Amino acid sequence: MRVLDGYVPPQRSVLERILIRSWEYRRLPVWAGGRIGVGIVLVGLGVVTLSLGGNDWATYGWTMAFLAAGAANLAFGYWFIAIAYRPLPQRVRELERSRAHLVDDSAARLRRIERDLHDGAQAQMVAVTMKLGLAIKKLAGMTGETGQTDLERVLELVVAAHGGAKEAITELRDLARGIHPHVLDQGLGTALATLAARSNPPVDLVVDLAERPSAAIETIAYFCAAELLTNVTKHSGARHATLEVVRVAGLLQVRVRDDGCGGARVEARGGLAGLAERIRTVDGKLQVTSPPGGPSVVTVELPSRA
Amino acid sequence: MRIVIAEDSAVMRAGLAEILADSDHQVVAAVGNADDLLAAVEEHHPDAAVVDVRMPPGYTDEGLRAAIAIRRDHPATGVLVFSQYIETRYTADLLGAASGNGAAGVGYLLKDRVADVEEFVEALSRVAAGGTALDPEVVTQLFGASRHTDGLGALTARERDVLALMAEGRSNGAIAATLVISERSVEKHVANIFSRLGLAPSDADHRRVLAVLRYLAS
Repeated sequence: MRVLDGYVPPQRSVLERILIRSWEYRRLPVWAGGRIGVGIVLVGLGVVTLSLGGNDWATYGWTMAFLAAGAANLAFGYWFIAIAYRPLPQRVRELERSRAHLVDDSAARLRRIERDLHDGAQAQMVAVTMKLGLAIKKLAGMTGETGQTDLERVLELVVAAHGGAKEAITELRDLARGIHPHVLDQGLGTALATLAARSNPPVDLVVDLAERPSAAIETIAYFCAAELLTNVTKHSGARHATLEVVRVAGLLQVRVRDDGCGGARVEARGGLAGLAERIRTVDGKLQVTSPPGGPSVVTVELPSRA
Repeated sequence: MRIVIAEDSAVMRAGLAEILADSDHQVVAAVGNADDLLAAVEEHHPDAAVVDVRMPPGYTDEGLRAAIAIRRDHPATGVLVFSQYIETRYTADLLGAASGNGAAGVGYLLKDRVADVEEFVEALSRVAAGGTALDPEVVTQLFGASRHTDGLGALTARERDVLALMAEGRSNGAIAATLVISERSVEKHVANIFSRLGLAPSDADHRRVLAVLRYLAS
């Protein structure tokens, strides 16, 4: 098993990254077709201008302009096709990398769930049984003569065990929600409304989604929002926050702003780094603007399908 | 008994301290990681240490390694290791550390066992006195993994019960109480088991446990 720290994200050129950010990757062939179509028309226009025009500078100027614009369009079209249908070995390498990362990511998630169970609910339940065990011992010892102090002690133990069992139930519920938030089945909007309503400080929610993103993207968007709001509660000292989930140019954009103290950073093994890892599995992007003194704005961009 | 507790969960640590204090034992130190445990044992020379296997910083087997170190450096301190899961490898490591000395003084229990307060405290006393306390789960695993299926198959069902309890480290008296039979018949079963498995009989409890465990593991 590869370790998360050793993960190297696929290398992409700056232009390519801009391209991927601007348009959805899978629409590249359509864009390429359009560019090539426009290119052919422009080159055609250049030829027509040359054949119909006179032997003067204006004709040459127009011809050159049409041919140059046509060539540029054809070049762009060819470039899009080259990216979309890049040689198979290279694509396979990229897929292998991203798959390995996905596997690592889910392994890390499982490890975290196991750890949470081990430290939380399991320990809590053992403590409950310890208290009940002691209470049983006291009760068994009392069958002969009844001592008032022991009765009080038994009551104390049973009350403590009762409290512990209730805490364990809460922890289990939170954990189950951490694995898959049930409310997400009703759509991202509903899930985020619940999340925002539970949040402290108060959160204004803006959701504008024409169509539902795919389930995987909804889940990642939800966990991003949850993690970011938790950060606001824990670290920012903000009095107010805004959660925006909107579609921008074919991307799903999750943005959390707060009026807190700022200074949020992506640190190794920190919450934001974990978030960034998860976002990267679907070619998404995390951007943090958080000057000391605030305000903080964290933006997550995700493709709408994965 | 004077006891040191090493457990990273504060809830569990408090619970254990409560149980032991209630059973009139003295908890001289309760710590949350392996380094503090070794320091506490060095300082207090307790009769026994109760040690969680998984502790910070790595949450892997820090406690187990500390337990083995304690058995090596402080033979007078019994070590009861407990954890949320039973790992066969840990059993082997612990018993390996134990058989180096004349006395065992090790125990390996599932955390759940603390729920039965008296049995847990009894197991701890056994370990402190140089005996053995193995979880029934450990014994089941040893039986399952043992290559001596012929030898074990030659035993009667009752003899296998006695063997399992013996492997857990229990005395004849405790075995008799658990199976609701007389101590006399336990002695007879034990003698039968030793002759059928071809083991040299031994009077001391911990020696016979080690003999049985070596037989199962070999």
